[in-house]
Amino acid sequence: MATACGRCQGALDPEDLRCALCGLAVPEGEGSARAPDAARAEIVRCVTCGAAMAYDARVQAPACAFCGSVTRSERIDDPMEQASHALAFTVGPERAREVLRAWLSGRGIFAPADLATNATVDHLRPLWWPAWIFSALADVWWTADSDHGAHRSAWAPQNGRAAMRFEHLLVSASRGLSYEECARLAPGYDLQRAAPAEGLLSATPAGGVVERFDVQRSAARRRILDALTSMAGAEVGSRYVPGSRVRNVRVSLLLQSLTTRRFALPAYVLAYRYEGRLYRAVVHGQDERMVLGESPTSVWRVLGVVAAVLLAVVLIAWILSLASG
Amino acid sequence: MDPAGSAHVECGRCGASMQLPSTARTAVCPYCAAPAIVERPRSAASVDPAFTMGFVFEASRASELVHRWARAQGFFREPGVRLAKVEDLRGVYLPAYLYSAVARSRYSALIGEDYTETETYTTTDAQGKTETRTRTVTRTEHRPLHGEHAAYVADVLVTASRALGNAELEAVEPFDLRAIRRYDPSLVVGWIAEDPSMTAAECYELARREAVEKVGASLHGFMPGDSHRDLVHQTWLEQESLDLVLVPVWVLALRYREDRGLLRVLVNGQTGRVAGAVPWSRLRIALAVAAALLAVAAVVAAVILLEPA
Ligand SMILES: [Zn+2]
Ligand SMILES: [Zn+2]
Ligand SMILES: [Zn+2]
Repeated sequence: MATACGRCQGALDPEDLRCALCGLAVPEGEGSARAPDAARAEIVRCVTCGAAMAYDARVQAPACAFCGSVTRSERIDDPMEQASHALAFTVGPERAREVLRAWLSGRGIFAPADLATNATVDHLRPLWWPAWIFSALADVWWTADSDHGAHRSAWAPQNGRAAMRFEHLLVSASRGLSYEECARLAPGYDLQRAAPAEGLLSATPAGGVVERFDVQRSAARRRILDALTSMAGAEVGSRYVPGSRVRNVRVSLLLQSLTTRRFALPAYVLAYRYEGRLYRAVVHGQDERMVLGESPTSVWRVLGVVAAVLLAVVLIAWILSLASG
Repeated sequence: MDPAGSAHVECGRCGASMQLPSTARTAVCPYCAAPAIVERPRSAASVDPAFTMGFVFEASRASELVHRWARAQGFFREPGVRLAKVEDLRGVYLPAYLYSAVARSRYSALIGEDYTETETYTTTDAQGKTETRTRTVTRTEHRPLHGEHAAYVADVLVTASRALGNAELEAVEPFDLRAIRRYDPSLVVGWIAEDPSMTAAECYELARREAVEKVGASLHGFMPGDSHRDLVHQTWLEQESLDLVLVPVWVLALRYREDRGLLRVLVNGQTGRVAGAVPWSRLRIALAVAAALLAVAAVVAAVILLEPA
C-alpha cells in the first residue's frame, strides 16, 4: 500500500503528489502522452451536455456554464488520516470504575477523607485516541555549548554528527487528551499486540468513541519530523555532547528510513462528581495501574498540615533553646 | 518555435485559425467564444506542468482586496493610488518552478560565549573626592567553530515567466502547497495560462540561489553560543528536483496619475495577499522635509532669541 519517498524515505500514500517532508514530487503513474501534430485549441467538454467548460473559482473545479454541472476531482487534496492498527481494551468498564475508586481513596493526605465514598462517577466513556507510532534511522548534525574545554567563559561551543535509531516512538494526534496525558499513557501499551483497526473498531463497546486524527496528512508528517528533531536534540544533549553541563542544543537531520503506523489506543475518560463539582480522570485501557486526573483538595486538611508543621517547628525551637540554655 | 513570437493555432471546434503567443497554454476562440486548451506538438521547449493550484476567489473579490490595500498605503506614497481605478484585472496561471533538494554545508564561525568579570574603576563624587569602586561587566570570548550541516530544502518557488520577475512573485508568496493538484487542462481552461518563457537552466539558477539563502538563514539559527559572527558557509545541493507548477495570480494595472504609466499590482489567487511597488510621493516627502527644516529653524531661532545675553 504505502511506498517510500525516493529522497527521504518518508512514507507516501497512493494519493500523495509530493513528499510532505522533503518536497520531492511523486512521479505520475501512467504517461498521459497525447500530442497533436499541429497546434490546436481544444475545448474541455461537459460530460453532461457537451458544452465547453471552464475552471470556476467559486467551486474550485471545472464547471459548465450551460447546465451547471461541476466536475469534482475524486481525490481530496489533503485528507485526514485514519488509524490502520488498533489495540483492544483489556481493562473492562466495570474494572475501570473500581480502579478509579481505588485511585480516589489513595489521593494522599490533602484529599478529603470522604472522597472515595462520596464521589459519584458521572460518566465513563471508552475512547480510542489516535497516535502515530514511528521508527526512524536518522543522520543527525548537532551543535551545543558545554563546559568541556571552556576557557574564561563557563561555556565552549561543541558540534558533531551521529547516526541515531528511534524505535516505536509515539506522537499523539489527539485533541481530547492533552499532550502530557498522552505521554504518560504511552508506555503502558503493548504495541506488539496490534490488530487491524477496521475489525477491532467496528466492535466498539457501548458509548465508545473513536477519536479522529486531528491533523491533515501533510501537517502530520511535519509533526513527526518535529518530534524526531526534538527527540534527537534530547539524545544529543544527554549522550553526545562532551562535558557535564549542556545548553543550546541544535540539531538538523536527514532520514535514512522512516516507517509510520497510525494507531487507535484504548483509554477510559471518566468524569466524577464530588460536592457538586465535576472532575476528569483517565484510566488506561490496557494497564489498570495507570490513572491520570485531577482530584479535589481539602482546605481543612491543608490548613491542618500547615498548623502541625508550624507546631513542630515551634516545639523543636523550644527544645533547642532549652538544650542550649 | 520562437518563445517570444506567436504562432497560428486552429480552433478544434469551429476550425478558425487564431494568432496566439507561442507561450499561451489557454485560448478563447474569437469566432465561437469557446474557452479552450492549446495543445501543441511535443517538443523540447514545451513541458506539461506537473502541478497546479486553483484560484479560490473571483475577480470581484480580487478588486475589493486591491482597493483595501490601496487605501491602506502610507502618507508618503503617491496619493493617487488610494483612489486609483482598477484597470484590466486578469486571472493568470503563472508558470513557476517548485524546487527541492538535500543541502549539505560546511560552515565556520566565531561563537561568542559570554562571561562576567569584576573590574575596578575610579569616580569623582560630588565633593570632588576620588574613590575606587567595583562593578560586574559582561564580556564575550570568541571561539572558532567549524563543522557540517545537512537538511532538506523544500518548497522553493521561483518564477518561470520573463514577464513577471522573481521578486514580484516573492512579494505575494507563500502559496499553500497543501492545496496542490496534479495538473489537468480542465483546471486552467477559461483562464490565462502560459508556458514558461524562461529556460529550466535559468530557473535552476534562481532556485539554487534561493535555496542557498535559506540554508544560510537556518545556519544562523544552528549556531550555539550567546552570539556569533563571521559565519561563512559553503553549500552543496544534491538530489535536486524541479517541477513546473502553475500558480494562480490576479494581475492588474492601476492608473494613479494621468502622466504616469500603469502600476502593476499582483494578488495571490489563493491567499489574497496583495503586492505592488507603489512609488513614493516626491511632493509629499519634499513638503515634510521642508516642514521639518522649518520647525528646526524655529527652535534654533527661539533658543537664540531667548538666550540671556
Ligand atoms: Zn521525501
Ligand atoms: Zn453542461
Ligand atoms: Zn472556434
